[in-house]
Amino acid sequence: MFGFRHIVLTQFRNYLYQSFSFTERIVGISGENGSGKTNLLDAVYYLCFTRSYFSRTDAQNVHHGQQGMRLEAQLLKNDEAGKLVCIVRENNKKEFYANDEEYKKFSDHIGLYPAVMIAPDDTELITGGSEDRRKMIDTLLSQIYPGYLQQLIAYNKILQQRNSLLKAAAEHKRLDTSLLEILDMQLCERGDVIYQWRKTFAAEFIPLVQQQYISIAGKDDQVQLTYDSQLHNASMAELLQQNRQRDMYLARTGAGIHKDDIDMHMNGLVFKNIASQGQRKSLLFALKLSEFLTLKQQKGFTPVLLLDDVFEKLDAGRMHNLLHRVCVEEQGQVFITDTHNERLEKAFIDLAVPYQLVQL
Amino acid sequence: MQLPSSLLESAVNEFSKLPGIGKKTALRLVLHLLKQEVGEVQQFGDIITRMRRDIQFCQRCFNISDAKICSICANRLRNQRQICVVENIRDVIALETTQQFSGTYHVLGGIISPLDGIGPDQLNIESLVHRIGEEQTEELIFALNPNIQGDTTIYYIQKKIKHLPCKVTTIARGIAFGGELEYADELTLGRSLANRLPVDSYISNR
Repeated sequence: MFGFRHIVLTQFRNYLYQSFSFTERIVGISGENGSGKTNLLDAVYYLCFTRSYFSRTDAQNVHHGQQGMRLEAQLLKNDEAGKLVCIVRENNKKEFYANDEEYKKFSDHIGLYPAVMIAPDDTELITGGSEDRRKMIDTLLSQIYPGYLQQLIAYNKILQQRNSLLKAAAEHKRLDTSLLEILDMQLCERGDVIYQWRKTFAAEFIPLVQQQYISIAGKDDQVQLTYDSQLHNASMAELLQQNRQRDMYLARTGAGIHKDDIDMHMNGLVFKNIASQGQRKSLLFALKLSEFLTLKQQKGFTPVLLLDDVFEKLDAGRMHNLLHRVCVEEQGQVFITDTHNERLEKAFIDLAVPYQLVQL
Repeated sequence: MQLPSSLLESAVNEFSKLPGIGKKTALRLVLHLLKQEVGEVQQFGDIITRMRRDIQFCQRCFNISDAKICSICANRLRNQRQICVVENIRDVIALETTQQFSGTYHVLGGIISPLDGIGPDQLNIESLVHRIGEEQTEELIFALNPNIQGDTTIYYIQKKIKHLPCKVTTIARGIAFGGELEYADELTLGRSLANRLPVDSYISNR
């Protein structure tokens, strides 16, 4: 079992200084709009991933008008007590400690304390651009495969170098082709490895999502997901070779794993164009639940689940089914926020599980 | 800061341009110089001026030098057919301190990184390629930082000299002296295992 026992927030978002103790496995958090429900969930997420779930800079995570912030948590993992501390100094320099030992590389932390967040804006995953879906897949793969994140960081660095070279070449009307070839070689080395990882992963993940969809929606809507990559038909080296003229003209890299996507279809049509609100939400939950199940299977213990404002998303019946699955059938820690204290309490009583309510 | 003399003020301003020196430290240094004999301060100034004016960069390896050719390059006892490629002069000093290397150096003056606007043309790469061809170099040793840009630079130079019969090596990457295995990161540990050494040569290297 893995879970948070105690958390202290200092100058984090709307909290000046506050501490919370979590005594039960199921934690309900209620409070009015703007009282800091999401921020509390984000603090837990932050300690698992060394960054906020929302795309914010560290300066934006600091309480308005203050400088520097600190998050500290006591937790339990495999029956052993642990401690996580994150400090953002006045100069926005970040330090991260696990059990009082400082990390040299934050990427070493990813995957040790797995967590899954479901937040209101997540429907972007379904309706938004491919970047959101890649980010979700990358977050998940970084936790599963050691080394994935390192390769991805290296890939992105080389990609930046390559694009800078192309831009400089366009300005000076002269390209050092041998340097471009070296960067291409370095890019291919990482790109091909990342592609293999994603391909192996997609083969298991996609059937799982489709299966989860049916179980949440209660019927089969013929939802089809496919992993789309330019690398299906050609190696990274071939792609770069084919696109070289165009890349030079546009001064950026047009092909590679940074263009990968997960295509979503329903009855052969593009999902986001024809799906109803309910179907979108069902698919979102199916994706998130599959992420949760994959992590659990790979890690051998249940990740922390952070459900932000989910009551607004599903009807009562589906909500009960979902909560039953994650709170009763699974043994992990679950945080749920809602504006209505009574609604939370009723849901927990219906489930007949021990719970704790935190009122903000 | 209110200073009673404009001479003092301009001296303080000059000192505070140095890296790591703020206004207060600059004032302390200047006041210290004010306590010295005029002759001594004169000498201090002269040495600095002379250092900047007379110092040269070795035409062969771009190390700092008092003459056209630096003392390392001019030393006939050193192996002239071995070149160690480094990023900057500080690396030369670090490697010389080990007293383990008796070849010559070549200072690149940086590392390839288009993102920072540094391409091969801004570095002493052309002269290195020329030098290897001219001097019939037997071995080129890369002593660059172990990161992506370091690798880019190594591959780039390697490609430029592949028509020449010169052996290309790079410094070993592995467990640090006094380091403990359990604290080494996996990448380093894995690499040390892949490039393990016969015990004989390990011991003879002290």
